Amino acid sequence: MSFSVLVCDDSNMARKQVLRSLPEQLSSTAQLATNGQEAVDLLRSQDIDILFLDLTMPVLDGLGVLQTLKDENITPAIFVISADVQPEMQNKVLELGAKAFLRKPVQLDVLNNNLQNHGFI
Amino acid sequence: MSPNNICTNITNKLNTGILIIDNQYNIVLWNQYLEIHANKKPESVIGKNIFEIFGELPERWFKRKVESVFQLKTQSFCSWEQRHHLFELPHTRPITTNSHFMAQNCTFLPIETDDGKEHVCILIEDVTDVCHYQTMLKKTLEDLAQANRIDGLTQIFNRKHWEECLEKEFSRARRYQHGLALIMFDLDHFKLLNDTYGHLGGDLVLIETAKTITKLLRLGDLFGRYGGEEFAIILPNTDKIGALDVAERIRLAISKNVINFQDRDIQVTASVGVAVINENDSRYEDLISNTDLALYDAKGSGRNIVCVAEELLEI
Amino acid sequence: MSDLNLNEDQQDCLQEIINVAMGQASDQLARFLDTFVYLKVPSIEQVSTISLIDTLNSSENSAAVVSQGFFGYEGIRGEALLMYKPKDSHRLADLLGYEPDELSVDEQIIDLSSILTTTFLNVFAKQIDNQMSYSAPRLLAGSQSAISDHLAQQSFSWDLALKVKITYQVTDYSFNCDMVLLIPESAINNIKAVIDRILEEF
Repeated sequence: MSFSVLVCDDSNMARKQVLRSLPEQLSSTAQLATNGQEAVDLLRSQDIDILFLDLTMPVLDGLGVLQTLKDENITPAIFVISADVQPEMQNKVLELGAKAFLRKPVQLDVLNNNLQNHGFI
Repeated sequence: MSPNNICTNITNKLNTGILIIDNQYNIVLWNQYLEIHANKKPESVIGKNIFEIFGELPERWFKRKVESVFQLKTQSFCSWEQRHHLFELPHTRPITTNSHFMAQNCTFLPIETDDGKEHVCILIEDVTDVCHYQTMLKKTLEDLAQANRIDGLTQIFNRKHWEECLEKEFSRARRYQHGLALIMFDLDHFKLLNDTYGHLGGDLVLIETAKTITKLLRLGDLFGRYGGEEFAIILPNTDKIGALDVAERIRLAISKNVINFQDRDIQVTASVGVAVINENDSRYEDLISNTDLALYDAKGSGRNIVCVAEELLEI
Repeated sequence: MSDLNLNEDQQDCLQEIINVAMGQASDQLARFLDTFVYLKVPSIEQVSTISLIDTLNSSENSAAVVSQGFFGYEGIRGEALLMYKPKDSHRLADLLGYEPDELSVDEQIIDLSSILTTTFLNVFAKQIDNQMSYSAPRLLAGSQSAISDHLAQQSFSWDLALKVKITYQVTDYSFNCDMVLLIPESAINNIKAVIDRILEEF
């Protein structure tokens, strides 16, 4: 079964790292966003099942995206992938509705375990 | 020789102290350098708490420092420039220094032993030489800087430095709305004095005058030699009345001063100009100009007199 | 002076490595200081010798500059300059967990700078499969001439200055500092090689 995926990160390399860690059926149709605003625009216009979200981005950052999605009741499964790994940040992110917090650089097994736990593979 | 033996050999011949402590601050290992310099036997040190053995260590500071190494798993340093030494080890340099103890640079390294336990290795380096020479160099440079500020003959500020001081005082007075006064005085008929008594006599008069006036001034006043026989004083936080008071005392002191030179008594007088900072002065040079004009007035009014620059009247 | 001459991919890769290094270092720092560290995306720019000296010269007495040498494998080495204006320097001791009179202002600045530099570079090194060693941090005398002199007397001729602007905001205390990494040409090439190796994995 295929789910629609959106990867949001301002770093090209980081986006690639996520893509290559995803199972093929998810990565082949995945869409990309380079900042929070792009992601929000996309999420408003389409049904996205899974969102991989970076925190430190220009224009609209990760927390901004989470808040906006919460306010507008847009509910993809959100997995935050960030370099900012402080416990307080992790808590904030979960409070705002993210399913999990993954630290960068993202690892294949960690990513896949999380997807499995939430029923996507 | 096995690598282990080689290492042991090296650590014991090394001219640096090696001290390893565990996370309870007990000494696990040390090298021969420390045995010699601390003059303690390994049996009485290994396994003991570091603060027991080295009571001079500032315990709280030391623990915080070592904690940062354990937690962040990164090196930390302590240089002689911040703390002369941590461990009281007598120095062995053939020079006399200010301290009995060796100046030290210490490095704190995180290390893991074979059994996976975390330890901190402290390297103690003797930098007494460096400390000594660096301190001497600093003193020499300070002396040099001082020499650059002082007029060789009178030992008060030279013109260059004095003007730099005025520049600073002027902007400070402007910024904080403080008062600032300037006194400039010029010894009367100085050329005649030089001709009469020779330059040595003239020089002595300058030296003695400087000494006499220095005694009259407050701590914050800045006294400098402005020209050959011309002197200037910066009086921060002083108004016209205060400045005139000082100026008159200066005039009086000079006129009363008897300088003995080669069995002759020399007496001299000075013309004194005074000015205070006012709103029209945009730069410190304006203040000097005003004082100079007042001094010129004094010369023109018969000498041995104090004149003050009057403020420009707004029309 | 040579240019880093990174293409877009390489630039992106380097930025990402630095982001991760900053994130983890902040986390470590936050735990150690027992506070929350607010992190901004570090901006990286290449600076020329002249503009670096200008930057160092323009800030008046308020800036402190701490220099620390770093060296790793594969010729990756350089000097880190931490340029930093403590607004409440008397609070630094408190921040670091000491009593205020336990250490001098100089020592506080040096300790903090060393922690910032080494935690960041340690994580940076780990990502490029490397390991760093450090020389003792030194506080450069506050005067401008001392700093220019220092730059002129480098033991290696550095060709590249990478300025990483770090903004650390700690919960009830904020300070900014710029970290400038001075890197000699040989090291630049090695860094590029490492970046390319990482990119190849994609």
